[in-house]
Amino acid sequence: CKDSFLEVPPTGQLANAQLTSKAGIEGSLIGAYSMLNGRGVRLASSANWVFGSILGGEANKGTNSGDYTAINPIQRFETPPTNTEINDTWRVKYEGIQRCNTTLASLAKAGSDVTADDKKRISGEARFLRGHYYFELKKLYNNVPYIDESMDYGTGIEKVSNATDVWPKIEADLKYAMDNLPETQAAAGRANKWAAAAYLGKAYLFQKKYTEAKAMFDQVIASGKTANGKKYGLVTKYAQIFNAENDNNEESVFAIQSAANTGSVNNANSDDDLNYPYNTGSSGPGNCCGFFQPSFELANSFRTDANGLPLLDGSYNSTANALKTDFGIQSSAAFTPDAGNLDPRLDHSVGRRGIPYLDWQDHPGFDWIRDQSYAGPYSPKKYIYYKSQEGTLTDGSSWTRGYAAMNKPLIRYADVLLMAAECEIEIGSLETARNYVNLVRARAANPASWVTKNGAPAAKYVISTYTAAWTDKAVARTAVRFERKLELSGEGHRFFDLVRWGIAESTINAYLSYEGAKLITALGSAKFTANKNEYLPIPQTQIDIQGKDILKQNPGY
Amino acid sequence: IMLLYAVSTVAQDRKVTGKVVGVDNQGIPGVSIVIKGTRTGTTSDANGNFSINSKSSNDVLQLSGIGYKAKEVNLAGQTSINVTLDEDIAALEEVVVTGYSSSSKKESTGSVATIKSKDLVMVPSGNVEQQLQGRASGVTVISSGQPGAASLVRIHGFGSFSNNNPLYVVDGVPVQSTDFLAPGDIESTSILKDAAAASIYGARAANGVIVYTTKKGTKRARSLEVTYDGLYGVTDPGKGQAMLNPQEQADWTWNAIRNTAIANGTTPTFGHPQYGTGTSAVLPDYLNVGGRSGVSGTVDLAAERLKYNIDPTAGAIYQVVKANKAGTDWYGAITRMAPISRHSLGFSGGTENGRYYFGLSAQEQAGILVYNKFSRYTFRANSEFDLSKKVRIGENLQFTYKSVLAQDGNDLLNPNNSGLSTIAGEGDILSAFRMSPIIPIYDEFGGYAGTAAKGFNNPRNPVASRDGSKNDRSFTANGFGNIYLEYEPITNLVLRSSIGGQYNNAYQYAYSRLQYENSENNASFGYNEFSGYQFSWTFTNTINYQKQIGDHKIKALAGYEALNTGSGRGISGSGINPFSTDINYITLTTVSSTGKVVNSYINSGITFASVFGQLDYNLSDKYYVSGVVRRDGSSRFGINSRYGVFPAFSAAWRLSKEDFMRDLPWISDLKIKGGWGQMGNSNSVDPNNQYSLYAANVGNSYYDINGSNTSAVSGFYRSRIGNPNAKWETNTTTNIGFESSLFRGKWDLAVDLWNRETTDALFNVPLPGVLGNYAAAPAVNVGTLSNKGIDIQIINRGNIIKDLNYEVTATGSFLDNKITSFAPNITYLPGTTYRGLTPVRNQLNYPMSAFYGYKVVGLFNSTSEVASAPKQTGAGLGRFRYADINGDGVIDANDRTYLGSPVPVFTGGMTIRLTYKAFDFSTFMAVSLGNKIANVSKWYTDFYPSFTGAAVSARVKNSWTPTNTNTDQPIFEGESGFSTNGEFNSFYVENGNYLRMQNMSLGYTIPKNVLTKIGLKSARVSASASNIFTITSYKGLDPSVGGAADTNFGIDIGNVPITRSYNLALSLSF
Repeated sequence: CKDSFLEVPPTGQLANAQLTSKAGIEGSLIGAYSMLNGRGVRLASSANWVFGSILGGEANKGTNSGDYTAINPIQRFETPPTNTEINDTWRVKYEGIQRCNTTLASLAKAGSDVTADDKKRISGEARFLRGHYYFELKKLYNNVPYIDESMDYGTGIEKVSNATDVWPKIEADLKYAMDNLPETQAAAGRANKWAAAAYLGKAYLFQKKYTEAKAMFDQVIASGKTANGKKYGLVTKYAQIFNAENDNNEESVFAIQSAANTGSVNNANSDDDLNYPYNTGSSGPGNCCGFFQPSFELANSFRTDANGLPLLDGSYNSTANALKTDFGIQSSAAFTPDAGNLDPRLDHSVGRRGIPYLDWQDHPGFDWIRDQSYAGPYSPKKYIYYKSQEGTLTDGSSWTRGYAAMNKPLIRYADVLLMAAECEIEIGSLETARNYVNLVRARAANPASWVTKNGAPAAKYVISTYTAAWTDKAVARTAVRFERKLELSGEGHRFFDLVRWGIAESTINAYLSYEGAKLITALGSAKFTANKNEYLPIPQTQIDIQGKDILKQNPGY
Repeated sequence: IMLLYAVSTVAQDRKVTGKVVGVDNQGIPGVSIVIKGTRTGTTSDANGNFSINSKSSNDVLQLSGIGYKAKEVNLAGQTSINVTLDEDIAALEEVVVTGYSSSSKKESTGSVATIKSKDLVMVPSGNVEQQLQGRASGVTVISSGQPGAASLVRIHGFGSFSNNNPLYVVDGVPVQSTDFLAPGDIESTSILKDAAAASIYGARAANGVIVYTTKKGTKRARSLEVTYDGLYGVTDPGKGQAMLNPQEQADWTWNAIRNTAIANGTTPTFGHPQYGTGTSAVLPDYLNVGGRSGVSGTVDLAAERLKYNIDPTAGAIYQVVKANKAGTDWYGAITRMAPISRHSLGFSGGTENGRYYFGLSAQEQAGILVYNKFSRYTFRANSEFDLSKKVRIGENLQFTYKSVLAQDGNDLLNPNNSGLSTIAGEGDILSAFRMSPIIPIYDEFGGYAGTAAKGFNNPRNPVASRDGSKNDRSFTANGFGNIYLEYEPITNLVLRSSIGGQYNNAYQYAYSRLQYENSENNASFGYNEFSGYQFSWTFTNTINYQKQIGDHKIKALAGYEALNTGSGRGISGSGINPFSTDINYITLTTVSSTGKVVNSYINSGITFASVFGQLDYNLSDKYYVSGVVRRDGSSRFGINSRYGVFPAFSAAWRLSKEDFMRDLPWISDLKIKGGWGQMGNSNSVDPNNQYSLYAANVGNSYYDINGSNTSAVSGFYRSRIGNPNAKWETNTTTNIGFESSLFRGKWDLAVDLWNRETTDALFNVPLPGVLGNYAAAPAVNVGTLSNKGIDIQIINRGNIIKDLNYEVTATGSFLDNKITSFAPNITYLPGTTYRGLTPVRNQLNYPMSAFYGYKVVGLFNSTSEVASAPKQTGAGLGRFRYADINGDGVIDANDRTYLGSPVPVFTGGMTIRLTYKAFDFSTFMAVSLGNKIANVSKWYTDFYPSFTGAAVSARVKNSWTPTNTNTDQPIFEGESGFSTNGEFNSFYVENGNYLRMQNMSLGYTIPKNVLTKIGLKSARVSASASNIFTITSYKGLDPSVGGAADTNFGIDIGNVPITRSYNLALSLSF
């Protein structure tokens, strides 16, 4: 018998050598991008609806207590290291890193068909993405092992400990990307020089390196443009940020690209398939499953005073100011929505009874909520598709209709302005900060973008810019932070902001005690523990595999 | 017995006396002696002596005795006669077929079980292996009640971390599954259990080998014999689980709200979209009137009908659903009395120079789930011709058409798992226990009713689901066979060359409804279609030699074999929303152009090239030794470790042949045997394991880099990390045992003690997460597993009174399975997570798929108990109190512990056969002891917050309340968390012991004198009942719970139960 008889080559797959051509390397890079949305591992999406928004108090799990129970302890800050979601998230982020590393390693072996310019661009994009994935890991777990393209299976990859801070590596990758990426790209979804600069600024900001951060943001604000060549700016209508028809607009610094009907719902917003009102039938979007319900606390935050400014003293939760809700009221019973002053962004961010739910119908309240007593009266609204887009900008090939195709912004220009404002407050001019915040507020104040009902604003929207000069750093800080809450709610930033500002314990415990009194089963007696809950536990499974000397558990777990 | 003298009324001519002795010259008592052609008879006395009156000097005496071969003796004028009867040691005379050679069980030195061919046809089943349960010791078979579904068959335990399926060999050709076989075509079944018996199959033998041989004509001139076997029966689905009726469910909803409020120290706010907001729950008259829920009073149906719409594409759904206050029996609604029929025709015969067997069979077996049906049509042609005295040519050929309709959990690409995944999946059976009984099956105008009516959470109408799958079809056309040439150049030297193969063509299509009736509906009408083929072949060349020189007998076998396990291609496609949902319209062409997906695959199969040899020697039929060795090479492994050598040695000593045993005449036969050997295994290794690979996949690595919103660009990802050094798993078996025949064959007793150690077990070492989550981990030879056990078979035969003969066969097997090591630093391998519960952890020093979680020591009965107990998250009245395993005063993940094993410690079966004249009766019972079942279906039915509003088990009526504390059913309340339904714990783990009366049948063989008049050779009619009762404490539908993976089985999430059936059968031969 000849040995060749016993040589059966693998089928339908490629060897590493086949990936070193230009097309192979480009394909590897696409694979690296594709991990941004977690590919169906819902909590691992870079949009961070659980780890950023729910932990930040903008929303709760939603639905009822028995559904997707792995999220129950997470939202109560009782996450055990054995929780499967934190392990899955860990692995998804590293999958992204592995794909970047494969791209970089293949690039080093590339043939002459890959030009020097190609190399600069491809390595820039790969390192941008690697920087992004490590940034995610840093925010979530803090202490993580750093793996680059020189390490692989069989060469001691499992021996890399999580003892070394990865911030310098993140900075290095993003800096490299900024220095090497072109200003515009052939494809709108690619990272460009300015996305890298904004991201680098964000990395500095997270480390409180305000000088370096400000320098980045200043450049981005002055000269930044999108990968498809649009000068950075704010889109005129707030709702247009979250409309698939308006993807890759001038505000999109870097976004997860989303597409429907590609053959797999993983290319659409598969992280959001549960995050729709419940039991809507065909008169509502998604028709499943009632997750990601905005919190009372968030909804109340949109209360404005007579001048159209937010209640920065926290009084929005007082009985007098808190939003009137249909909590405990059946849909068959009468209900009149809140008549007080409100920031118009409320009705782009929170689905509530009596207000038009995009172009679907008025939100009916109770009937679209799976278990009001468990998760409150609100529905998510930002990443909901329009009725007119059903089937074209949604993917109906899976078990629900809820696979939408609008991009998920990871950094948008309003975010950049607000981050720049933070830098200005710390090391620059309070007035510049106020100006940045006012740019953001002015857009929200555009009546043309308000939710309307019967031709009139759907609620009493009263909003204005900060007209008085800012003179106190602390007040300015509060205003900027509150603006981030209002502007970026539900976009996965809040928890990480609270942690980096050092106010997580006080803010979250206040939230939990307010919210827990209303949603007793979900959040009652839950508590944020300082010096522990700022980060997720290192997954026990990973510690079991690599050893507790290599992966040191985070404090408190 | 003496009564027979009374019938002897013929004139007394001559008196014949004599003695009946055995080969040991001892008299045999109780032998029946009858003068042929008369009713004159007698019985030998205690010393074997007899006397009988004969009419003619040419009379023929017919002698028969239990445990001896019947004999006819011509008196030939003698009046005194001594007759020697040969022992009929049936069990030891059984033929053991190894696929390369055959021998009698008497000569066998290995551990082999054989199954009688009539046992295979007794109970109708889709897969013949289902009949092995309890009939062969050392073999564990777990089947589901779904016809055509594969069974979990394990021989001598679990020697590998995945895919412990035995190797099936049919007429010398290895195959992956045996569901294409008609049970009636099978002549013999040999189960090779240890290395001594199975090592001849070397690298694929480690999980045991089941060798089937199909019928052939006999090797002598014989006229055509035609047999017909027909069977008709029905399977009764029985009753479902006891659920709360509508009023009870409403009342318990209020109880839950009340209990939740008490636990939280608040006042209860009663309210439900259907049951109102009062202090007691009130059932509504209508559940859904155009989206309004909880409607009481009358509804103007004529007016409502105008608004009725159940087409989601035509606008908002508008239904009118009346409350079914009497309660809907959902289990009853999706099940039925399921008919089965089977017809087989056999034609066999031969001449001096040729012999043949033709078989035709048709089986139509409906499942108890409506629309589920298994059909199989087979045609078999076996023939052999002597071309000369020295050359024979033969062939075995079979064509099978098999179809499975509307099967739950079908996995076409993996025939070994077909239908198995239902056990641990959320199927229609589970839906039937999740749908609230107040929901009717249909709305007022004929559409489906369902959870679109508010307040019942998300189960889907299982009747609609069944209706939706009624056109789902899967069918295969299969050609199987071999052709062989035998050349016998000198006496007893046989050169044989055989080439065999199997071609399987599979086709499948299925539809999914666009739903409207549920709270969570399928977004689109879906359609998918699959087609694929697989071709496998085996080329075998052997030399067999036998020689007897005086007392020395030698048998030698040498062979060479090359094979491919199956190469093929397949193509599948899916799409949504065709213009019309008429099934005559829908193809992949007519589905919508958006969302259309086409996939295909290519599979080169796995090649093996092997040489093997066997040498058997026996001295005076007293001492036996045997040696086997096989060297295998396989494409599964890289060049460094491609080949494996697997030797085995065994020996036997027939003590009963020794002179010193002569003094123990009650021992008719006693053989002690033992063996050692090694077998290989590579089933658990992906053929690509040696390679590091990358792939492109639309779901795994595409991205819309261009921002098109409607298309994605292909990207690559690492699909596999390779291990070029992986090599064979080695199973080393040692065993010792004996086979005996006692009291002249009245008793047979065989015991085998065996030990099977797996070293170099291939284990997909969990990759550290830093390598990502997509690349398949390489299989590395690191694990070790231990299996040991005892196989016992006891047979007792005899007669109770004259003509009433009995035979009782009992088999039993003890099994101790244990994982003895994983990789360095790895102590466990987790199982699958279901709704947040992870029932299984494969861990060191415990059996495969062992259950792992918190041990419930009781329910918290008082606030002081809560306060004094170890700190436990969510502790509260009536909730689970967990054991503080590590005693640190805190209940956390470190307190999880072993909760039981799904592997039965003891499995066995007992067959009782009674024959009385023309009547025969047989019954078969199977028993499984010492295993546990993870009844995860309780998560859905026993807890209020597990999809609140879904149906609730009647068990909650005994749930904990302050006045009902003597219960293990926790309080019915809203909390979902660590101390309630949030963690897998011993509440779910139930005793899996059962005893099943598997079959009982009564047959009548029509007397020959009646038959000859109508030209029949033999005729038998029989009636049987199967699965008559099951004695078990298991609370789920059926304790026969298997699973699709060895590292994750014994978990019940709505298993299709095995239920009672009744059959009538007719066998004729012409």
